[in-house]
Amino acid sequence: MITFNYIASFFLIALGFYTIITKFNLVKAVIGLSIADYGVNLLIISIGYVPGGTAPIFTQGEITQLSYFVDPIPQALTLTSIVIGACVTAMSMSLVMKLHESYGTLDTREIRRLHG
Amino acid sequence: MSNFMNYIHFPIYSVMVLFLGAFLIVVLGKNKTLRSIIAVLSVSISLACMIALIKPVMVNGEVIAYWMGNRVPAGGYAIGIAMEVDALSLFFGLLISTAVFVSTIYSIQYMAHDENIPQYYTLLLMLAGGVMGLVLSGDIFNMFIMVEILTFAAVALTAFRNRVFGALEAAFKYLVVGCMGSTCILAGTIMLYANAHTLNFAQLSAIIPGNMNTSTKIAFALLFVGFSTKAFIVPFHPLAADAHGAAPASISVLISGVLTKSGIYGIIRLTYFLFQTMGLSTFQFLLVFIGCVSMFLCVTMALAQHDFKRLLAFHSISQIGYVLTAVGLFTAVGFSSGIYHALNHTLFKGLLFLAAGAVLHETGTTNLDELGGLSKKMPHTTVLFLIGAFSISGIPPFNGFASKWMIYQACYQKAVESGNIGYVLVTVICLVTSVLTLASFVKVSQSVFFGRLPEKYENVKEVSFGMRLAMGIFALLCVLTGLFPDLVGKYLTQPAATAAFNASSYIDAMLGEGYAASAMGPFLPAAQNVVFYEAGVWSPMSWLLIMCIVLLAITIVAVTSKYDRVSAVSSGEADAKHALFFSGEEAVYSQVGGSDLFWGFKHNWRHYFSFMHDLHSGILNDYALWAVVDLALVMLFMLIVL
Repeated sequence: MITFNYIASFFLIALGFYTIITKFNLVKAVIGLSIADYGVNLLIISIGYVPGGTAPIFTQGEITQLSYFVDPIPQALTLTSIVIGACVTAMSMSLVMKLHESYGTLDTREIRRLHG
Repeated sequence: MSNFMNYIHFPIYSVMVLFLGAFLIVVLGKNKTLRSIIAVLSVSISLACMIALIKPVMVNGEVIAYWMGNRVPAGGYAIGIAMEVDALSLFFGLLISTAVFVSTIYSIQYMAHDENIPQYYTLLLMLAGGVMGLVLSGDIFNMFIMVEILTFAAVALTAFRNRVFGALEAAFKYLVVGCMGSTCILAGTIMLYANAHTLNFAQLSAIIPGNMNTSTKIAFALLFVGFSTKAFIVPFHPLAADAHGAAPASISVLISGVLTKSGIYGIIRLTYFLFQTMGLSTFQFLLVFIGCVSMFLCVTMALAQHDFKRLLAFHSISQIGYVLTAVGLFTAVGFSSGIYHALNHTLFKGLLFLAAGAVLHETGTTNLDELGGLSKKMPHTTVLFLIGAFSISGIPPFNGFASKWMIYQACYQKAVESGNIGYVLVTVICLVTSVLTLASFVKVSQSVFFGRLPEKYENVKEVSFGMRLAMGIFALLCVLTGLFPDLVGKYLTQPAATAAFNASSYIDAMLGEGYAASAMGPFLPAAQNVVFYEAGVWSPMSWLLIMCIVLLAITIVAVTSKYDRVSAVSSGEADAKHALFFSGEEAVYSQVGGSDLFWGFKHNWRHYFSFMHDLHSGILNDYALWAVVDLALVMLFMLIVL
């Protein structure tokens, strides 16, 4: 079951990178980055998953040797990663807007003043 | 924890003060004086903290392990977030805080005419804080966070002057490929976590080498490629070139002097500590190969450039190639020469970028074909530029010579020790690259500072004192590190190299004495006998004397001779067949432009140059493809050789 998650996460990362390579639209490049980011988030969450585990929310007295819960650290990492992903999208979209203003196009093949 | 001035708190101060300064400038940055004071104060405190750590860490050889909130390891597991400062971290910390300090001083007047200056300082301090946090962190996830902060700040600063030709484009390409790298770092980090169930760097270094499997090998590839995007080594060099050309000069100093070093730091930590695979000749081959390709490819790219800052950007990656090659040799001399060159590169490349910024500030262009003769108008900048150019070209007694000389020695010594003839070839590539670097700086000095002054620059003035002061600091440091390689070796590079070859003491400092031996068992690396041979033996002072005598002789000849330079090029003498005249109206003076100086050489290599020009197409998809191909190749390499 969890193996499917791993396959799906690497598929998403690969799909995201594939999008960036093959699509000539700047907005699609941003979408590709987001897809790759979601793939990594899925990977992180899957690594922390324990079959049958509960949510890792306990108070000081409740936690015992028998407590069985999923790993909380990857969940914290995912939250950070989601925030960073949102920042990437926001910043790249603002750059895309500015690029469209000054170049009048979103085609990567025409946005190549700097080359060679 | 009562004593707040205890030096173990200094690493966290040096990071926090930068972020605090960034925050305060957002709040109070309206006032011009106030924001300059805050910016200079925070970078000075950060630098002072780093300098204060030289004695305990570099001289006494301590490793500072600092647990946030005093959450020390429990039950053999690192549960808190840690900072760990050994000599290697401190070396990079010192280098970074120096570059940031000088760049901030330069910014005050360089950026005075721009809009949104508070935001500029906020981003500058965020960038500085991110890189500081990266090199001082002892936690791999925090390293990722810092990588993201510095990438974001660097992208925003690249696009800061968004009316500049290509600034937005450069920033977007850097953002996309940089974020692909960051995604790789995160994926690699989490795959290591899946194997070792810890994020503490020291504990990972103890667990991973003994438990290699397919997923850790792929994690290595992901992390390696991720840090490669930060170091801009091949195949990520076009991003650096684009970003440098568009960013303000004070930011170019940080991108070339600081960001690339953070990538190199990541690669060193990855190969020397986390996986401890550097003992294998295949991994030495990997680093040396990428280093040599970066070195040679970028110097030839630089020869074909027409823009001052873009040319410097390619040289920057070429010098990073030297650092990577030397580090990849896995010898004590090689490592110390590599990081010595990293230090020198930050100094001389910072100086050159600031000189390019001064030219841009006064003339409004960095196009080599338009400039000329500025030595008459900007004599101080010219002298400072020449110091930087001599340093990067490896002319004694400046610092570039000292470190390059050590790198040649280290390569050759490696060839003798390992019996591998390939390392002789590496030495040759290093030498050829150095020659081409010199050639390209002859071209730059000729087309910017010498030759005839175009009429439109008649009113150009020398830059302000603050900017010259910043360049002067770099120039002074270039000369000092060149003249006293023994002191640099004793207090900076040799402790750092010793630290790099003793991963177990790094682990023990964090998790208690004997942890490395018990956790790693048979995988514990044998205690390295770090010997620094008579490395870099030469007497800088006598070279300085020779240099002075030669300069004096040139000056005397130039002053006393009757040869009149002006008449030779511009007066309408009858003997026109020796005049410089290419085409067009004879009355119009045409200078031997930067692109023409080595035309014979370029003509012979025209197929190579045009191939490289077409290859660096400027299309985002191509650069992304290179990144993925690089990732695939490193993964394949890992799965085959290990």
